[in-house]
Amino acid sequence: FAGLADVSISEDIPVEGEITVPVGSHSPDEDFSTLDEPVRDTIMRDLKAVGKKFVHVMYPKKSSTLLRDWDLWGPLVLCVSLALMLQGGSADSKDDGGPQFAEVFVIIWFGAVVITLNSKLLGGTISFFQSLCVLGYCVLPLTVAMLVCRLVLLAGSGTISFIVRLLVVLAMFGWSTLASTAFLADSQPPNRKALVVYPIFLFYFVISWMILTFTPQ
Amino acid sequence: RGAAGGRWRGSPGPSPLTDSPPQALVDDTEDVSLDFGSEEELALRKAKIRHPVATFFHLFFRVSAIITYLFCDWFSNSFVACFVTILLLLSFDFWSVKNVTGRLLVGLRWWNQIDEDGKSHWVFEAKKVPTITASTEAEARIFWLGLIICPVIWTVFLFSTLFSLKLKWLALVIAGISLQTANLYGYIHCKLGGQKSISRTMSRFFVTADVPKRQTRRISEDHIEEHGKTDTN
Repeated sequence: FAGLADVSISEDIPVEGEITVPVGSHSPDEDFSTLDEPVRDTIMRDLKAVGKKFVHVMYPKKSSTLLRDWDLWGPLVLCVSLALMLQGGSADSKDDGGPQFAEVFVIIWFGAVVITLNSKLLGGTISFFQSLCVLGYCVLPLTVAMLVCRLVLLAGSGTISFIVRLLVVLAMFGWSTLASTAFLADSQPPNRKALVVYPIFLFYFVISWMILTFTPQ
Repeated sequence: RGAAGGRWRGSPGPSPLTDSPPQALVDDTEDVSLDFGSEEELALRKAKIRHPVATFFHLFFRVSAIITYLFCDWFSNSFVACFVTILLLLSFDFWSVKNVTGRLLVGLRWWNQIDEDGKSHWVFEAKKVPTITASTEAEARIFWLGLIICPVIWTVFLFSTLFSLKLKWLALVIAGISLQTANLYGYIHCKLGGQKSISRTMSRFFVTADVPKRQTRRISEDHIEEHGKTDTN
């Protein structure tokens, strides 16, 4: 090993290295450097999520990924459009439809909150906002029914139109209830499903009643 | 003689004629000055408000909602139109403050996450290390002022609605209070949650700055390098 005894690094050879100091944890927004891009991306992402949920309501099949990404934009839009279509249809036409508009709002949101509380008290595993999200989105068939009813009423308000409206509203009411039950009832133990389903039934029944008894002045 | 401690860039090696460190030669050759980056970055550093659009929108929706509520009789006779407009403004304000302006103006973010068993978690995140596009004092002040003052104003509206018995506005005022208070609560939670780890992070930041100067530290991809103490003997 004699040759190894004199191992030394010649001073002409630079010994160099780098130390990179990790700059904190990578927060997801470090990639965003401008305001425009991320906002547009965020908006598109949220819009796509809302659209996907609307489609899911029309073809209800249980999907847990859908439930996990809850948002309340869809319910807001549906609530506003339903309330807009329902206003101005009561006996006292002196008002500009103000109270009825706020009434529809209060009924929908307060009703949804009560149903959610009920299902949580019964031991459901679904979270508060998820349940609000599902109930809100399932108002979509009834909003479609309202649209159809208004169109039918433009044609006339006799017995035939009443029967047509009744059938449409009944069909959509059944659809709403089934769609929301498909999502919500599974989070309950089996002997309690009926206890959870009947408030949902009542909720959509009240909305359907408001739609069916709507008569324009 | 050997560059055993670091790497010189932009200046020649030690002079072969003398043993002194080549500091005298540095002046004759390129500037070994610390370069902070381009002009834009300099301007960005000096600006008082680095995100003007975000700051504008942070205040725009909230203030328009309040103004529309106060002056709705001037804009339109219809209760419904005012109601819908204010509600939409409040919703856009909630979304933009939660998703965009909080992240850009103060580096905080909060959201709700539901994991696979269906349990929901509220996550509060605070950005720890400031970057070049981090917020300034002025922006942070505007953010927090806007965040705090508006719920207070909506609470005042609540009482005025109750006492003047204009109950048809009650639903809207309650919606306004809940949306704005939700953001306020979320951001305060983020801020308080971040405080605990701030002292720990700051000390770590300062300690690495004093790392023995023999090592080179790469700060950016370009020309900035800290020159270590060179032992040329």
